[in-house]
Amino acid sequence: MKNLSFKLITCLLSSWVCCLAVSLHAQGDFLSEEDFFEEDLGTGMEISDPLEVINRYIFVFNDFVYMKFLQPLADVYQAVTPDPVEKAAINFFNNLKYPVRLAGNLLQGRWEGAWVETGRFAINSTVGILGLFSPADKVDGFEPIPKEDIGQALGSWGIGEGPYLVLPLLGPSNLRDLGGLVGDRSVNPLDEPFSLIDDWNWEWRAALTGTEFTVSSPGLMERYLQLKGSAIDPYSSFKNGYTQFRRAAIRE
Amino acid sequence: MLKRRSLIAFLVSCLFLSAAQAASTEADRLRSVIDAAIEAVYGECCADLPIEDKETRVNAILEDAYDLDVIIRRAIGRNWNLMNEKEQQQVLDLVKRLVVRTYVKAMQGTARPEVEMGKPVMITDNRMEIPSVIIVDETIVNVLYRLGKMQSGWQIYDIVAEDISVVSNYRQQIDDHFRKGNGQELIEKLTKLMNSQDIDEELKL
Repeated sequence: MKNLSFKLITCLLSSWVCCLAVSLHAQGDFLSEEDFFEEDLGTGMEISDPLEVINRYIFVFNDFVYMKFLQPLADVYQAVTPDPVEKAAINFFNNLKYPVRLAGNLLQGRWEGAWVETGRFAINSTVGILGLFSPADKVDGFEPIPKEDIGQALGSWGIGEGPYLVLPLLGPSNLRDLGGLVGDRSVNPLDEPFSLIDDWNWEWRAALTGTEFTVSSPGLMERYLQLKGSAIDPYSSFKNGYTQFRRAAIRE
Repeated sequence: MLKRRSLIAFLVSCLFLSAAQAASTEADRLRSVIDAAIEAVYGECCADLPIEDKETRVNAILEDAYDLDVIIRRAIGRNWNLMNEKEQQQVLDLVKRLVVRTYVKAMQGTARPEVEMGKPVMITDNRMEIPSVIIVDETIVNVLYRLGKMQSGWQIYDIVAEDISVVSNYRQQIDDHFRKGNGQELIEKLTKLMNSQDIDEELKL
């Protein structure tokens, strides 16, 4: 009897303490509103922008070009191109950028990434008919991985991003990524000024560049309009968005 | 001695269970809000409605579930104190409308998105993250919802889409604005933005 009472009391007591603990846990320990709202976001979003005045002029120039030329181009291209052809063209140019992704992986010592990119290039160039299709997406171990480039490699080596830049036509960048862009072009056998193909004339190069630009225009414009449409100050929004994106890519 | 240990273990497990339960409940609530907002744009009832009506419906769904002022106050940060009470309220309302309009406009003309919710992660007792994947037309977008426990309950305090924090992005814009401007100018800017029908207006310096 005594044992039973003890058990009963223990049981009741523990239930009560448990309820109290759960209730305290559920109701207490709120985030203080004032501290929370003014909290440093901790993302280190200090962005060096000493060239802001020039950058803003280039940003407005780019916006004019995008809205007046790139957007109509994207609209026409999308209207006349069936979706599967659009997809195949994106795949084709994406496949051609393999050397850049390979170099980005190798320079960061990402051997597995380099292996996956090489495997994907081999599968997509052969089974995928010159990269028009992307059968590698469905091959175990060769699914798409985050794209690496030389700018990211420079970042992973600890090179600072330098001042924020807006490049004519190309848009947001920074000094380090501008260096990375030159590096990307140097490892791409098709791009000038380091092209390995000496005997093809400027018309072919212009056609290739123009086609690539046209193919990528719908995707670029979609992202551009989304960010611009939600922005109070589009310049600041792109500066922050670009920097967050690149810093996260380097961290990863 | 053994009984005491069992009791302590029981209480500790209760606490963990309550945290896990809170995370799971919040993930379910978020899921239902997202589903309802998508239904308000793509559902049979609403697909043909004018965009303004869709915005109103989405706004009602979001406000019914969450205090949107929390995420906007986070975005405004310390600049909040640079405005008077009237300006504060106007900025809150305008930014809220801007965010909802952007959300609805972004979904116009696209296929109905599929949303997959991930497992919620308790960061601390009063912060959690709920990952999700949104698939639209073969495009995959990773979106992370950050929730904090306020006195009014769990509230969304940031949304991170493809590594870009919405709060950090707006705070940058608002910080940059207040370096040279004031609350009234911000309201004028936001009002102009809300009144523009399209986003293809030319930018001016």
